[in-house]
Amino acid sequence: MYAALVDQAKRGDREAFDSLARLTGDRCMAIAFRILRDFDLADDAVQSALLTAWRELRALRDPERFEPWLHRILTNACYAEARRRRRWSEGIRLLSVEPVHGTDDYATVDNRDQLERAFRRLTVQQRAVLVFHHYLGLPLPEVAVRIGIPVGTVKSRMHHAKRALRASLDAEARTPPTSQERMA
Amino acid sequence: MTAHDDLDRQLNDFLRDGPTELPYESFDAVRDRTEQTGQWVVIGPWRIPDMNKIVTIGLGAAVVVVAIFIGAQLFGSPSGGFGSQPTPSPDPTATPAQSVAEPSSSVAAGLPEGPHLLSEATDGGVPITVTIAAPAWEGDPGIGFLQWNEGADPPDGAGMIAFQSREYYVYGDPCHWPTTRPDTPATTVDELVDALANQASREASAPEDITVDGNTGKKIILDMADDVDIDACDEPEYPLFGVPGDDLARYSQGSGQIEELWIVDVDGLIVVLDGLYYTDTPQNAVDEVRAILASATFDGP
Repeated sequence: MYAALVDQAKRGDREAFDSLARLTGDRCMAIAFRILRDFDLADDAVQSALLTAWRELRALRDPERFEPWLHRILTNACYAEARRRRRWSEGIRLLSVEPVHGTDDYATVDNRDQLERAFRRLTVQQRAVLVFHHYLGLPLPEVAVRIGIPVGTVKSRMHHAKRALRASLDAEARTPPTSQERMA
Repeated sequence: MTAHDDLDRQLNDFLRDGPTELPYESFDAVRDRTEQTGQWVVIGPWRIPDMNKIVTIGLGAAVVVVAIFIGAQLFGSPSGGFGSQPTPSPDPTATPAQSVAEPSSSVAAGLPEGPHLLSEATDGGVPITVTIAAPAWEGDPGIGFLQWNEGADPPDGAGMIAFQSREYYVYGDPCHWPTTRPDTPATTVDELVDALANQASREASAPEDITVDGNTGKKIILDMADDVDIDACDEPEYPLFGVPGDDLARYSQGSGQIEELWIVDVDGLIVVLDGLYYTDTPQNAVDEVRAILASATFDGP
C-alpha cells in the first residue's frame, strides 16, 4: 500500500517519509492512546516511533510490511514512555484477600469508568495485546507479529489481561469506589 | 450471551472511544526532527560467500559499532542510576515522633497531617490506617498508596503501598517470573520473608523482628541488582511477588529501587507494608517512609 513511498523514503526522500507519516500517524495515535490512556504520552510515543522509523527505514526489507513494522516500533515506544513516566499509582493494584473467581457480575457493569480503571490496572504489555486484537481486530498471529512476541505469549497475555479485568470489575461491583478513589 | 462474549463486547466498545488523530503540530515536529536526523546506513549484505576474512572482520566490527549506536539510541540511559550505594540501615526503633523531619518550605498542598485510611477492609481483610506526621505526602490513600510530594519515581522519590493476602507467590527469579513461580505460596511471615531473601537478582538485608500495632513480624530491605535490564526479562516485568488473582501484584518500577518491607501477621492475614525509595532519595524522606510504616494500625479509624 505504501511501497512506493517507502522505497523513496529509504533513499532519503524526506518528503516521501513526511507523506508516510501523515498517512499512518493518525492510526498510530489511536493505538498509542488506547495503550497508554494518556494523550500527551501517546503523542510523544508516536513522534518517537516515527523518528525511529525514519532512522531505521533502510533496514526494512519488505516495503509492503511498513505498517506492521511501524506498529512494532510504536509498541516499543509506548513501553518506553510508560516506563519513563510511569506514575507510582500505575504500580498499584487493589487486592482482594481471597482469590477472585470469575462471575457473571461484571456482565451487569455498564459503567465506562469502571472499565477505564480496570484497564489502567493492566500492564502496558497486556493493554497492547488487547488494543491490537480488540481495537484493530487483528487475529492473534498477526498481533504477535505487530508486537514482536510469540503467539503463545500473546495468548498468555490475553488470558491474564481478561482475568485481571474480570477480577477488577467483580471487585468494583462488590465494593463501589469511595469518593477518594480516582483514576490512576 | 455468555460472560466471555460480554467482556469482549465491552472491550470493543470501550476501545472504540478516544482520539484517532495525531495533532498537526506533532506531524510538523516529526518533520522538523527528520530534517535534522540522518538515516542509519545498513551494513550488508550480511552473507557474502566469497568474502575474504579481512572484509568479514571489518564488517563485523562495523556492525558492532552500529549495534552499539542503535542500542544507545533505542534504549538510552535509564532515568536514574542503579542502586550501587549502600542500602540504608534499617531502623527498627523508628517512630513517627522521633524520625519525621520538618517539611520543606516547598511542600505542596497534599494530605493533611493525621491518620488516613490507607486500605479499606475487603473480604476477610482488615482496614489499614497510617498516620502522616507532616504535610509532605500526597496520593490516594483510598486505593492503598501514598507518595512523597516530590513524587515516587526514580531517581529520588519515595512512597508506600500496602498489601494484604493470605497467600503470596514469590518468584524465584523476578526476571524469569513466568517460569519461577513456586508451586505453593508463602502463607506465613517467615515463609514470605525467607522467599524474598532468597529471590535471585536482589540484595536482601538480614531480616529483623518488628512489631506494628501489636502484631509481630519481620522487616527486610530489598535492593534491586544494578545490572538488571527489565526489557530483556521474560515478559518485560520484574515482580517481587504475586497473589491469588494477580501475578504482578508488586513489581519493580525502575533503577536504583529499594523496597523496605514491613511484614506482619494480623490474625493469620499477612500484611505487607511496602516502603519505596531510591539510592538518591533524601534521608528525611526515607525517615518519613519508615515513620508511616511504623504508624500502621489495623482496626480502622
